[in-house]
Amino acid sequence: MIASANRLRSVGWLVLLGLCLALVLVLAFRVNALRSQIHHAEARIVALKQEKMYLETEFETRSNQQQLKAWNDVEFGYAAPSASQYLEGERQLASLSVPAAIDAPAPIRVASVDDSIIASAAFPAMVSPLSGKALSADDGAGEGTASAAAAKPKLQKAVARVDHDEAVETLQDRLGKVVDVRPKGPVRKETASEKEEAKPRKAEKVAKSAAKGTSAKADAGKTKPKVTAVADKSSAKKAKEAAPSRTTKGKEAKAAR
Amino acid sequence: MNALTASAAIASGRVKLANIRQRSLVEAKVRVLVVALLFMFIGAAALIRIAHLGFFEDAPERRSLADALLPPRGEITDRNGVPLARAFPAYALWYNPKALGEKGSPLVKSPEEVARALLAIFPDADYSDLLKRLKSDKPSYLRRRVMPEEANRIFALGEPALEFPRENQRYYPQGSLGAHVLGYVDSEGHGHVGMEQVLEKQLLDPAQRGRPVALAIDMRAQGALEDELGRGMLETEAKGAAGIVLDVDTGEIVALASLPSFNPNRSDMALNNLVFNKVTNQVYELGSTFKPLSVAAAIDAGVVTDLSVRYPSNRPLAIGGFHIRDSHSFGASLNVPEALIHSSNIVTAQVADKLGGPALKKTMAALGMNERPFVELPARGFPLWPRGTNKNGDWARITTMTVSYGHGIAVTPLHLAAAYAAMVNGGIWRPATLFKRDPSQIPEGRRVYKASTSARMRQLLRMIVVDGTGKTANAQGFRVGGKTGSAEKPGGRGGYNRTSLVATFAAAFPMDKPRYVVIAMLDEPKGTAASSYQRTAAFNAAPIVGRVVPRIGPFLGVVPDDTRDIDISDLSPLVGNGDGE
Repeated sequence: MIASANRLRSVGWLVLLGLCLALVLVLAFRVNALRSQIHHAEARIVALKQEKMYLETEFETRSNQQQLKAWNDVEFGYAAPSASQYLEGERQLASLSVPAAIDAPAPIRVASVDDSIIASAAFPAMVSPLSGKALSADDGAGEGTASAAAAKPKLQKAVARVDHDEAVETLQDRLGKVVDVRPKGPVRKETASEKEEAKPRKAEKVAKSAAKGTSAKADAGKTKPKVTAVADKSSAKKAKEAAPSRTTKGKEAKAAR
Repeated sequence: MNALTASAAIASGRVKLANIRQRSLVEAKVRVLVVALLFMFIGAAALIRIAHLGFFEDAPERRSLADALLPPRGEITDRNGVPLARAFPAYALWYNPKALGEKGSPLVKSPEEVARALLAIFPDADYSDLLKRLKSDKPSYLRRRVMPEEANRIFALGEPALEFPRENQRYYPQGSLGAHVLGYVDSEGHGHVGMEQVLEKQLLDPAQRGRPVALAIDMRAQGALEDELGRGMLETEAKGAAGIVLDVDTGEIVALASLPSFNPNRSDMALNNLVFNKVTNQVYELGSTFKPLSVAAAIDAGVVTDLSVRYPSNRPLAIGGFHIRDSHSFGASLNVPEALIHSSNIVTAQVADKLGGPALKKTMAALGMNERPFVELPARGFPLWPRGTNKNGDWARITTMTVSYGHGIAVTPLHLAAAYAAMVNGGIWRPATLFKRDPSQIPEGRRVYKASTSARMRQLLRMIVVDGTGKTANAQGFRVGGKTGSAEKPGGRGGYNRTSLVATFAAAFPMDKPRYVVIAMLDEPKGTAASSYQRTAAFNAAPIVGRVVPRIGPFLGVVPDDTRDIDISDLSPLVGNGDGE
């Protein structure tokens, strides 16, 4: 009994010894495997870096100054830029503009935004670059809009059909808007037929825009703060900061209406 | 007896039992010990292995990676990091006659055919030399450097005896560009001539060669300078040309060219006189380009306070049997601005005479004209500094006068560039360097001229280009100012050769705030159609500067601007244009 227990114990020790040995072997193998992997990776890095150096050197050789000069003489004929091709700053740029002649056509005024164009464009907030479909801001999937619309009606509007107010405001936020020329009075959604009608009216609106601009400016103090001109970075930043408050104020104003 | 035997037998049985017990006990103990030792040994071995893995195994691996990527010779780049020289395992063409075995002909075709085919691939090769090598039994290099396309064409010949071992060589991707700055590396791996020689230790040091060395050279400026100098040299059939672009505030050499040049990739071809650097090693009497330096010294010393004072200029100045002449008569009298514009030796000599020898000598010494030029390159020419007449080395009166217009003193073009930089940058001379300087490491330099003198000289140099001999260098919008110099070379009758000239134009731009000095020099230009059949600097060297400046200005940070210029309105009334004189 005692002998068998002893034997069992020694066998146990042997098994333990064997196990340890096996573990050490496994460890050694794994370490070696990893090392050879690292070695391979390093050899590949070296080979790639050398390959890169060869290619870079070849490129440098083929595009060396004398070669480029020869090509330029034969093919391109580029010359060093002259003084007239440089502008020192805004001041010099402005000095290039010429005052309008007496019977010159009226200059095209792009700063006064035509409402009808914005309304008909109806920009969605975001368009997927892959599918070209409109994305909602939160989920990005077409079928999600119904539930999202229930929770956030404002976002739904942005996806499906941008309200006139919203369109102007979005554009302001994106472009750093110059003058607000929104129509006064209650805002309602345009139908498709009205949209079509709006186009011929464009010309009239352009003509009126100046008068509108002034009246809008007169309104400015009453309803909400407006950014009149965004010239430099600091004021652009201010405009951005003002943007959220403006939208909330816009909402309040709408609610009041 | 029985009892005794019985007791003895019992006793012996007991003893045996005790013996067996003791023995087995010892045996068990030994076994336990052995097993314990075995365990300890295995445990220790495992621990040691782990410790070994942890502490020592990684290091050699990493070093091998760094080793593999460490170039055998460090890289040299320009100031923007464009590689100018690098170690590159390029193909060589090796002839191995034993490639087809010991017996029989080493070549498939006849040696003549192979030599002709090789000549078609390398037109510059020597046919008889190739044939001699191909016929001999000894293996040898047929060519040290072969391009991959050429290797393909040689491979297509189907000759196993022509081998392409990849050898680590020095390679210059830009070819002959900046050859005199870089130098070359010979077949033993030693650098020669340029920075390869200067940086030899650093480029070979394992601790430092991993980092590329940045030079002050701008490869694009170097290309433009060499290109325009080469064009000017061909147009005027000159023997050679030299040019330099120097940053006036830091002393950095942005471009340095000596033509004709050599190709450092062909180190076997580099051992000829083309490796001679005309910018730093050859001294010339640079002629009239010295006049502004002398006039500046006179203004600085308070000798010339009124620029409207007129000096007689209608007849040669006779000093002790020596006559100082002008190229042609400029009228009865000239003031200092006019003398510079028309480049009058007679008036400059009078101004220098008024200034006196010691003062001019002091200024010239302060400009470094009496020692080798300050630059890292090994080949630096020693100026021909006029000998004095007495113990103190004071110059004779005639020496003072000739030095004032750049004769009797011979310096390198680099000396002149450094002096012009000091003259236009506010008056501070700084040593030139080929290493890119950190803005914090710019040497303080030494003051040679007052800031007011420097401002006045900028006006005068600009006037020379606007109204005077430097008109052809007036690159539009770059406000170039400078001075022509056409010096006769020593030799021939009367000490000077009337027909072989050294034409130099020393310029700086933009003159309202000088940034760079540009020097262009032509060695023995001839009167050709391109130079209106004239040999003087106004017709050959000045147009080179006029073409170089617009090409290098924009990327050196000087934007052409027609609306700016240095104000010369206070001096222009002093200069009679056309019928006034």
